[in-house]
Amino acid sequence: MNVYKQKEEQERMRQRLHPVTVLLYLGAVVFLSLFFAHPLFLLSLFIAVGIVILSYGLGREWVGYLKVGLGFLLVIMMVNVLLVRAGSTILFLGPTLPGLGRMRITWEALCYGLGMGLRLLVIISVFCLLMYVLHPDRLIQLLGGRSYKTALTLGLSLRLFPLMRTDFLRITEVQQCRGVNYRAQKKRDKVRQIIPALRVLLLSSLERAFQLAESLQARGYGLGRRSYYARQKWRLRDKIIIICICGGVLLSLWLVGSGQAAYSYYPRLQSVKTVEIYWSVLIGLLFIVPACFNWGWKKWPSLRSRI
Amino acid sequence: MAFIKVEDLTYYYPGTEAPALKGINLSLNRGEFVLLVGSSGCGKSSLVRALAGLIPDFYGGKIGGHIYLEGQEIRTITRPALVKKVGMVFQDPESQLIMSNVEQELVLGMENLGLPVSLMKRRVMEVGEAFSLSPYRQHSVNELSGGLKQKVVLASVLAMQPEILILDEPTSQLDPVAGEEILTIVRKLNEDQGMTVILIEQRLERCFHLADRVVVMDKGRIVQNRTSLEELVTWAVEEGSPFLPPLPKLFAKSGFTQIPLTVKEGRKLISDKIEETKVVVAEEKKDEGKKQELLLQVENVAYTYENGVEALTGINLDFFAGDFLVLMGENAAGKTTLLKTIRGLLQPTKGTVRFGGEEIKERPVEEWAKDIGYLSQHPGDYLFLPTVREEIEFALDNLHLPKDSRVNFLLEKLGLTKFAESYARDLSTGERQRVALATVLVAEPKLIILDEPTRGLDYELKAYLGEILQDLQQAGQAILLVTHDVEFAAEYATEIALMTQGTIIAKGKKEEILSDSTFFSPQVAKLFRNLVVDPIVTLEQGKLVLEEF
Repeated sequence: MNVYKQKEEQERMRQRLHPVTVLLYLGAVVFLSLFFAHPLFLLSLFIAVGIVILSYGLGREWVGYLKVGLGFLLVIMMVNVLLVRAGSTILFLGPTLPGLGRMRITWEALCYGLGMGLRLLVIISVFCLLMYVLHPDRLIQLLGGRSYKTALTLGLSLRLFPLMRTDFLRITEVQQCRGVNYRAQKKRDKVRQIIPALRVLLLSSLERAFQLAESLQARGYGLGRRSYYARQKWRLRDKIIIICICGGVLLSLWLVGSGQAAYSYYPRLQSVKTVEIYWSVLIGLLFIVPACFNWGWKKWPSLRSRI
Repeated sequence: MAFIKVEDLTYYYPGTEAPALKGINLSLNRGEFVLLVGSSGCGKSSLVRALAGLIPDFYGGKIGGHIYLEGQEIRTITRPALVKKVGMVFQDPESQLIMSNVEQELVLGMENLGLPVSLMKRRVMEVGEAFSLSPYRQHSVNELSGGLKQKVVLASVLAMQPEILILDEPTSQLDPVAGEEILTIVRKLNEDQGMTVILIEQRLERCFHLADRVVVMDKGRIVQNRTSLEELVTWAVEEGSPFLPPLPKLFAKSGFTQIPLTVKEGRKLISDKIEETKVVVAEEKKDEGKKQELLLQVENVAYTYENGVEALTGINLDFFAGDFLVLMGENAAGKTTLLKTIRGLLQPTKGTVRFGGEEIKERPVEEWAKDIGYLSQHPGDYLFLPTVREEIEFALDNLHLPKDSRVNFLLEKLGLTKFAESYARDLSTGERQRVALATVLVAEPKLIILDEPTRGLDYELKAYLGEILQDLQQAGQAILLVTHDVEFAAEYATEIALMTQGTIIAKGKKEEILSDSTFFSPQVAKLFRNLVVDPIVTLEQGKLVLEEF
């Protein structure tokens, strides 16, 4: 994937975890972000994932993802405040809108939108981490074994997608140099202009697919039973992180089950109890363990080989 | 017993009536370094694919005759045994890399052979060290340069430890340094490990002297099969074959009976006869003072990609009508970025590019198509219509230009008339290249930009392209060309600019730049360096010197 940059990737490889650990971590965060309604717990998850992202040196990339997320957050908030009429703290009473009635913006609806947006930011951050920390080849190895053909197809698709994107950009540049105008105003004209580029892309991709298949054939693909070079290693770091994930998930289930992580926005915002702050901090701490490893390894490199 | 024996081999690709290979007979010995040469589409690639078992297994089609490897008919050899025995590296590294990580790519073939992990680890370590790939083992292949990608492919094939290594133009996309490195590795494998090497290569100056045997093909047949390079040179000179490296060609043309194969041999041959400083070539001096219309001005241009890579810094360039400038430099030096910046495809992050006094950024890219033609590295990117004629007319339609006699004129000029109604993608590499060039030239631009147009072209086609470009130059059009082909640049360009790390480090007449460079120097220049006063870079200049003996 072209999002990988050499030095950063090497650094991440040194800090790498078993792909199952990564998938469990990311899966648990997504599950909990959907499970919790309490904004404090969502904020705690968001901060924990953010700290892990920063510990991998992915701050710049994260900001890019957050920019997209903030756009969505604004949309969610606006739709919520305009459509939801619940809430007792009125911030603004506006004119009557057709089909919506009188505009009534409440503090509670605004906070609800903010809570939903926070949930979205957690999920977007998880996606950012997935893109940069779990290499597709390692995912393929995980799928490997009996389903090697599926894994190889997936791997080739992952490799070819950025290549096709590059090809498409190059082809449109070439076509522009031949006088093709991609800035046409009308949609119909735009489609008409893009067709030649798509045709070239299709033809070139078919040629490349043929060459790749030939290369695979020449290197003995499909000979029968194959061996596997890389076995993913389970290390102490994986076990510690999985224990923390399990602890975090079980604790969350208990908290939600016992009503200690419940939250209601309407008709008035529920007040936050001190104990809820403690629990949310604890959940957050359980999910920043990978970041602790990353920082620990930077400070004491010898720890890498020990855990 | 011959190690590889081909008997009366004939092959037809599916759906074709003309054979790609006709009655091929060939015997090769174990450990030989075989150079396979011939024009584009002569059957070289088909022959090596047959030796690797890809023809007919992968391609289908009709095949006749026999191929024996160590006395065993290839069709009776099991596929695992054949894959272990024959390794093949193709032309384009991008279309051979399967995995996205270097280490995974290195082990792919070995995994397919079912080798044990301990053995794979040892071989990965060995090829990693031998090819200096160890620091890149965990890198993504997409991040590697073209030279490194080709090395990864070669290492991946060699990790399978084949007895026969087949290379189909492995250096065609590499700069001179990277190409030299790959061929050095191949030579060492042949010399130190006795590996049988079959190499297809267009730039013969790189490898001619390495060969134990040279096989020349034409129209699906073997026309020469020689172990004596001297005999082959004599034959090529007598027959006027273009498949000779520049150095033997120079000596043969100059009437020498003793033909050297390497620069070292050539210098030895002439150094006794030349007394330093006495030979001065009476070169036709051109009117340098008379500069024509200023077309292009590049002023202090810098370009930084979004990922922070500074591709260009402080580029200054003035370009006049009738100039023919070749940009050279290692892979990733910023050459293509500069071309794209000049063409308006990239906006400089600093500085200005002006064409005819107007800033390039003032008009959209497509509006410059009548003034600046651009031929990219991939001729295939231009081709999608049912006929060659329609491909050429497509540009005229876009530019609202009349479909007048210029289409027929270009078809004639570029030798494409007989293909006018053919599907362009069915044509050979050289023919496709000419079609793409025609689609650019049809707009009659004042400046023509060409990015590596000689890639994959044989000597004949390169000479043809060079002459076309010189004709355009004579007609007052300006040529800006990027190539790794030093010999081509020396023969046809007027000026050379060398680029590295985003800057132009040297620019001047080709004689000044090419005569004293280590790698960016043609064979002729290396031959005469420090032996004659004048810088000699072209065959014609070299001939003038040699004829004085």
